[in-house]
Amino acid sequence: MASNDAASQVNQGAGFMGWLNKRLPVNKFISDQLLEYYAPKNFNVWYFFGSLALLVLVMQLVSGIFLTMFYKVGDTTAFESVEFIRREVSYGWLIQSLHAIGASAFFVVVYLHMYRALMYGSYKAPRELLWLFGMFIYLALMAEAFMGYVLPWGNMSYWAATVIINIFSTIPVIGPGLVEWIRGDYGVADATLNRFFSLHVVAIPLILLLLVALHLVALRQVGSNNPDGIEIKENKGSDGKPVDGIPFHPYYTVKDIVGVGFFLTLFAVVVFFVPTFGGLFMEEANFEPANPLSTPEPIAPSWYFTPYYAILRAVPNQRIGALLLLLAVLAFFFLPWLDRSPVKSVRYRGLWFKGMLAVFTVSFLALMYLGLKPASASYVNAARVFAIGYFSFFVLMPLYTKWDRVKSVPKRVSFHE
Amino acid sequence: MSKSIVLALSLLFTPWALAAETAAEPAAEPAAGAAVEGAAEAVNWQDLKAGNEVSNISSLQEGARNFSNYCLGCHSMKFMRWSRMCDDLRVPKAECQANLMPPNAKPADYMVSSLRAEDAVAWFGKEPPDLSLIARSRGVDYIYRLFKTFYVDPAKPTHTNNLVLDGIAMPAVLSELEGVKTAVYKNVDVVVDGKPSVQKVFDHFSTTSPGQLTEAQYDKFLRNTVNFLDYAGDPTQVDRRSIGIWVVLFLLAFTGIAWLMKKDYWKDVH
Amino acid sequence: MADQEAVDLDRRKFLTVATAATAGVGVVFAATPFVASWSPSERAKALGAPITVDLSKLEPGMMLTYVWRKQPIYIFKRTPETVAKLAAHDAQLKDPKSSDSDQPAYATNEMRSLRPDVAVLIATCTHLGCLPKQRFEPADAELGADWPGGFRCPCHGSRFDLAGRVFNGSPASVNLRVPPYNFENDNTLVIGSDDAAVQGAA
Repeated sequence: MASNDAASQVNQGAGFMGWLNKRLPVNKFISDQLLEYYAPKNFNVWYFFGSLALLVLVMQLVSGIFLTMFYKVGDTTAFESVEFIRREVSYGWLIQSLHAIGASAFFVVVYLHMYRALMYGSYKAPRELLWLFGMFIYLALMAEAFMGYVLPWGNMSYWAATVIINIFSTIPVIGPGLVEWIRGDYGVADATLNRFFSLHVVAIPLILLLLVALHLVALRQVGSNNPDGIEIKENKGSDGKPVDGIPFHPYYTVKDIVGVGFFLTLFAVVVFFVPTFGGLFMEEANFEPANPLSTPEPIAPSWYFTPYYAILRAVPNQRIGALLLLLAVLAFFFLPWLDRSPVKSVRYRGLWFKGMLAVFTVSFLALMYLGLKPASASYVNAARVFAIGYFSFFVLMPLYTKWDRVKSVPKRVSFHE
Repeated sequence: MSKSIVLALSLLFTPWALAAETAAEPAAEPAAGAAVEGAAEAVNWQDLKAGNEVSNISSLQEGARNFSNYCLGCHSMKFMRWSRMCDDLRVPKAECQANLMPPNAKPADYMVSSLRAEDAVAWFGKEPPDLSLIARSRGVDYIYRLFKTFYVDPAKPTHTNNLVLDGIAMPAVLSELEGVKTAVYKNVDVVVDGKPSVQKVFDHFSTTSPGQLTEAQYDKFLRNTVNFLDYAGDPTQVDRRSIGIWVVLFLLAFTGIAWLMKKDYWKDVH
Repeated sequence: MADQEAVDLDRRKFLTVATAATAGVGVVFAATPFVASWSPSERAKALGAPITVDLSKLEPGMMLTYVWRKQPIYIFKRTPETVAKLAAHDAQLKDPKSSDSDQPAYATNEMRSLRPDVAVLIATCTHLGCLPKQRFEPADAELGADWPGGFRCPCHGSRFDLAGRVFNGSPASVNLRVPPYNFENDNTLVIGSDDAAVQGAA
């Protein structure tokens, strides 16, 4: 890797760059973050989704900033202004589509990114904090998506807001008052829309950016995991560099660009040819303005919330249902401490973990599907079975990760040219 | 590795599978008991498809005329502008003003009905819905089926009913074209709560007085009108698809070049 | 780390440049819709359609103010005497022949109008966009004994004559702009379109 020897020393440069580098650590930053940041060389496709999540975040910020220029918050103006954007603003239809579909793309990418962590044990020590920052990003993203979904003020927006906010009413004692406080009215109303707008365009994006920054700093501190779950820092060569590591730049920048190309191609196919994605990315009922006197049938949340929604619906008790919904999300936070296995990657784990991961995968996807379906008895019963599958992955983890017969982890990562 | 790709792909394409299923379902659910052999209708009404083609300009022009003549009296299309519609549909300005627009409308005006809301409520019991987005919120097939299943029902105060929307407030305005139809029912043995009983279910329509159009002509009339509503719901859709082809081709080319670059750099990594 | 196979650096450089160039083109493409979204919307364009003004009540020496495309438009009638005197102060003007100013071809004349009696001007000072005030009385106390009548901008004191031509010593350097317009008949003025045939059809 002759091309990198020059980069190993932080070069202050001459002329303007020299002047600048004395005052701002530009070259040092580039060197630390890209040239001297060693990443394992055995990343597979699952490792694209982190950089893709960052890309989608930027896309959402840019399209969101432009939508905010035309959107008119208010219960009598919001729906019309979205239609104004779609029809009368030059390329407004494209900007609006990018943002609405971008929300779904964000969750596709983030779910795959999280799943990668489950498979390769990326949440395990020393990456617990990295994982927690990621989980907080996920929570902020859910809040951001939900509030953004309310803004077009279609009938689905209205009823999604009604249903989701009402989940808070299950909190003992303060529930009913809290719900009224969140809405700012006796039902979802103009006041609710206005505060959600403010949170969606200012507050949560700021929090998201902060969390993403922390996530990245934590990543640079502990280094990336890899499909073998081997710590490359523990095996350094005579030059002090990890034997199985390669500089992030240029190797992973060029690789991530390919991932970006693939992703954008798929994304463009959706945006230009199937923007509603069969009603999953843009629901039919949301093309009718908010109507407090007519609930759309069937009512289902956006696809990325349906696993939790299915769990909520599977419980015949309102309060316990809401509690389980909360636990289903929060369970991920505890993974680093639930997992007792000495190995990280699924590649070296035994049948127990593999089986339970399969149970979790099937349960999550099945719940996602069931949440989109009407609440008929057979669907609800099925959701109960899969909810048990979902929770058993977490609850039983301390046991089965201890019983698991793990394989011995090699010293070097597996890498095929 | 290959297993992970399969997993990734199945996750990515799960929405596709779900979409296909949700699309199929509404048709299947109300169909129980309605499938009938030897009925007058060759196709079950729940299976009727609009089959419109939104890139067909002459169909859209016909549809715009139908909309202006038969719908605009009561229904607005408040997000659509006359000038924009006529430009998109390549209707010359003079022709647009003469044939489509109401006499007092200006080209920049939105396509709004002259029916006043309070009159509508007095006459029909409710305000006729705006049709700008009806094709997006209900789908083209829904509208097509709605206008294929109006029939005379003496039991209703309006003497009109509809298979798609029971107790519809809208009068059968197209019966002068389609003809007047009544519903013919048949008895079907069913089992309710373990007990056998007989249920009256819809069998077919019988035309009591023919309209101005033959069935084929009426179907074409409907298809054009639905096509226009489809266009109006998403007026940029034709542009969108034609731009999309170039965007996707460009991105594929970019991905190809980037992939070659990646391969070249990764020759270093052993 | 000795390379096991020789790396063709030219090829690598070419591919890097090609990727960067394609990405650059892509970024420009991607920016286009965002840049375009700032241009006037279809609604703004529709509302910017030509307007019709009835001149039957407009007496010589009087002025009407209309708004077309968010710009104030001054429409006033000049008496035959005013018209006759307009050529007299050419020496005091920066651009008497309107050769450097912005107006339709049919208004590139001394009167800066289609008809000598009717003036149609965009009432936006060509200096910094304020609204020039009507000062039609000649020999104004403030503007001097040789003031022939015209407009004065309150913001920075630019002065214009009754054909909207700017006087020497004004901060503005070109004459008031003239919008496209035409006469449907003697008393009907259409602002925003200079083609009577097109206007009739729209």
